[in-house]
Amino acid sequence: MRRIALGGTVAAMAATVFLLGGAFAPPHEAKPAPPSSQADVLFPERAPVSLAGKDTPSLIAALQQALRRNGEDVRALDSLGFAYLQRAREIADPSYYPKAQGVLQRALALSPGDNLATAGLGSLSLSRHRFRDALILGRRTLAGAPRSGRNWGIVGDALLELGRYPEAFRAFDAMVRVEPGLPAYARISYARELLGHPRTAIEMMQRAVAESNFEREPYAWTSVQLGKLYWSIGRIDAAALQYRRALAIFPGYVYGLDALAQVEAARGHFPRAIALEQRAVNRTPLPQFVTTLGDLLRVSGRRAQAERQYALMDVIARLLRANGVKTDLELALFDVDHGIRLPAALELARVSYRDRPSIDGDDVLAWTLARNGHCGEARHYSVRALRLGTRDALKYFHRGMIERCLGNRSAARSWLRRSLHQNAHFSLIWAPVARRYAR
Amino acid sequence: MGRKTLVVTLALAAGVLALAFGLVRGSGPQSASAASHREAPLISMSPAEDLTDFFMFRSYEPGNTDKVDLIMNVNPLSEPGAGPNYYNFDPNATYAFNIDNNQDGITDVRFEVNFRTEIRGVTRDLGLPLSYAALPPITKLDGAGSEGLGLRQRYTVRMFTRPDQPIGKPGLLANDLIAVPSNVGPLTMPDYPSLAAQGIYGSSNSAEPSLPAGVRVFAGARQDPFYIDLGGAFDTLNFARTPPLLTAPEDANDNANAFGVDTLSGFNVSTIALEVPASYLTPDSSKAIGAYANVSKFTASSDGAGNGRGSGGFAQTNRLANPLVNELVIGTVDKDRWNALTPAQDGQFAQYVLSPRFATALQLRFGGPPGCVPLFLAPDQVAGCNANNRTDLVNAFAKYSPTGPLTGDWLRLNLATPGTPPVVASQKRLGGLAGDAFGYPNGRRPRDDVTDIATRVVGGPFYITNRAGDGINVDDAALPNTFPFLATPSDGRNRVHFNRTATPAAPGS
Repeated sequence: MRRIALGGTVAAMAATVFLLGGAFAPPHEAKPAPPSSQADVLFPERAPVSLAGKDTPSLIAALQQALRRNGEDVRALDSLGFAYLQRAREIADPSYYPKAQGVLQRALALSPGDNLATAGLGSLSLSRHRFRDALILGRRTLAGAPRSGRNWGIVGDALLELGRYPEAFRAFDAMVRVEPGLPAYARISYARELLGHPRTAIEMMQRAVAESNFEREPYAWTSVQLGKLYWSIGRIDAAALQYRRALAIFPGYVYGLDALAQVEAARGHFPRAIALEQRAVNRTPLPQFVTTLGDLLRVSGRRAQAERQYALMDVIARLLRANGVKTDLELALFDVDHGIRLPAALELARVSYRDRPSIDGDDVLAWTLARNGHCGEARHYSVRALRLGTRDALKYFHRGMIERCLGNRSAARSWLRRSLHQNAHFSLIWAPVARRYAR
Repeated sequence: MGRKTLVVTLALAAGVLALAFGLVRGSGPQSASAASHREAPLISMSPAEDLTDFFMFRSYEPGNTDKVDLIMNVNPLSEPGAGPNYYNFDPNATYAFNIDNNQDGITDVRFEVNFRTEIRGVTRDLGLPLSYAALPPITKLDGAGSEGLGLRQRYTVRMFTRPDQPIGKPGLLANDLIAVPSNVGPLTMPDYPSLAAQGIYGSSNSAEPSLPAGVRVFAGARQDPFYIDLGGAFDTLNFARTPPLLTAPEDANDNANAFGVDTLSGFNVSTIALEVPASYLTPDSSKAIGAYANVSKFTASSDGAGNGRGSGGFAQTNRLANPLVNELVIGTVDKDRWNALTPAQDGQFAQYVLSPRFATALQLRFGGPPGCVPLFLAPDQVAGCNANNRTDLVNAFAKYSPTGPLTGDWLRLNLATPGTPPVVASQKRLGGLAGDAFGYPNGRRPRDDVTDIATRVVGGPFYITNRAGDGINVDDAALPNTFPFLATPSDGRNRVHFNRTATPAAPGS
């Protein structure tokens, strides 16, 4: 059943379906390609085929083959674009982004206004942290397919990163109405987390876990998210259970390894934490993994090894930039956290704030300003960063340090205590500082 | 999402569903850093809310013919060997049967089924959320012998009635029933039929949680009773004979396939079956009732002020009454919208029925002119009915009688049909078209060949006279005459899917 051989267009149809919503892909989302048979007229949205392979690489290979036979097969181009995006996520290799862009733009050139290609480019823009572009593309594709949860998701995600929260939440509410399911539940959960309702956020993420039906990646992804929610309120054991479940279903899942490493560190098991984080980095050297590994080494007193990890950050950032990913915000935070090029970090934070005026943008700018001695201005952005009522220990900590810098000792202690009360292990390098000044 | 379309028929591509789950929905990079954008998945797939078939019929179980059975199937094309997760119901969904008993097209009685998932036994002790393990072999749904059921689903059944309904006993009918797991294989589940029988709850199973007298419930894996040459249908109606017309003897033989191959052979579905006394459904069984199955999913809002079921509500994502309506009749762009509505809102889709694209496709492929079926027309409607104004189909799908009001798509059942409902061996696969008054469109039984019936009815007299069909007249598994009326599912180790090159022996029914 899963190995019925594929023909070109049929392969593409199957793959479209496969990537974009399954056997019964939303008919109105796929701009009908010129029908090649009456079967297409009859059942345009349903391809009677399975896929040649069971993983993304074989899917990519099958689609490339289909395109060698017919390079103007819009459905195959759309599908290949999504497959590249998927592969980029799986192995954190941003070199798939330009490839995805290439085939999706070709699809658009062949079929102007193609809804799938537009959505694919919207997703790509999100991955590249180009949220204004993503919003434009998401709105365009949503206009063509307003009952698509995916399109509401693109719009909502973009709005969220642009700091337009009420609109973003309305988009998520629409998303869950048109397509209740894992993607929408996960976003509702995130919205509630941002609004400072961790308990109801956890409930929604539990529903998202149930939606995964124990399928490998969905289960692992949602379980790690659920664990992080527990982690955010200091329930370390509950978090660890979720991470271990994720790793049981999906051995070697890097986000699970990374999360479990933080649990081990919180428990004082640094060699174990370092081993876990090293496994994550070996598989996928994501900036946040490399940073955490460096921090783990640093707090374990292995300064030289830590510096080697930190030095990798530049390389990774260059690689990301070369593939179109904006990394200013992440880099600014990394630099300021590690005392690197502080004035340059501030420039970076200001630039990134223009692209990404989210509460994270507010927070990083606030922290960078504070570390550069501009504590009055920093406080303005820290107030903004906390404006949703998000219960985020790191943001509390930043606020505490800013108040301290402004000489508001009592307010500082109160924010720092709040930070530790929220999650005593919120940061390898900053939690000890919070403890010191909270007294 | 478009996954909402129902039927098994066109569900072949659903074989990719499980793959798509792992491949697409999952992986969103998530960042440990507060500053990073959290990419949640954008694609969802929910075969567990995808209705494949809905059946409603008077029980033909000997001695039980005063009961009505309602059956819905989900999880299209369940490949029996698709471990380790196999197939489950959706704990975020409400599965429901809706009954209209006064022919006004509005639900009067509703039965809701909700599931929850337990992680238990050996797998929980190991900290592994794996589904099933033969440690020891699984012989019971609960207690000793059930240790290997690492993933188990329990469910509740509730009955609701409109306040003016003087019938039944609304409220909780059953709590904490156990769904029958997928048939993993003979080592893990050495006696699957006996295991599954423990999941038939009701009066005959007194050891189990008590249900009201005359009510029986089953939820779990079953063999997919639908039969069709799906591969041929998809290949531009390229059936094993061209044109695909049956000879009179072939058409009369319900126990052999004339030509073609049952593409759904060896696949399973997940079944919810409910049997109730007719008095639970209607106070007046002289009047035909209507019914449809639907699936609704939990929804919630971002504000997060509330929590749980109460604050969220449910949104319908799938419905099914008459077979093939959404597949063959409703236009592509409207399928999702159709799935989200109630039958009372069906009027807006009338144009699809009046001028069905499937009839056009049949004509393109076989040359026969589509036309009206007089059976469904009142005498004064005959003149106005033609290929572009199929009032006969509107009557068949959307009315209780040709002269009655439009009520939308309900599967209708006349509880007062005289005689005794025939057992499977005596049922005619063509139901009403073959003079079997207890078959489709008077309700629908698992045996009814709705592919051939729909082809002939939508095509019209030319297709009826010439006996159009896909050549598949009988399912690959014999249907039982007892509740829940669907066959034991193929097991994951030994399942067989027929190939076109092979000559499948059609089992008698």
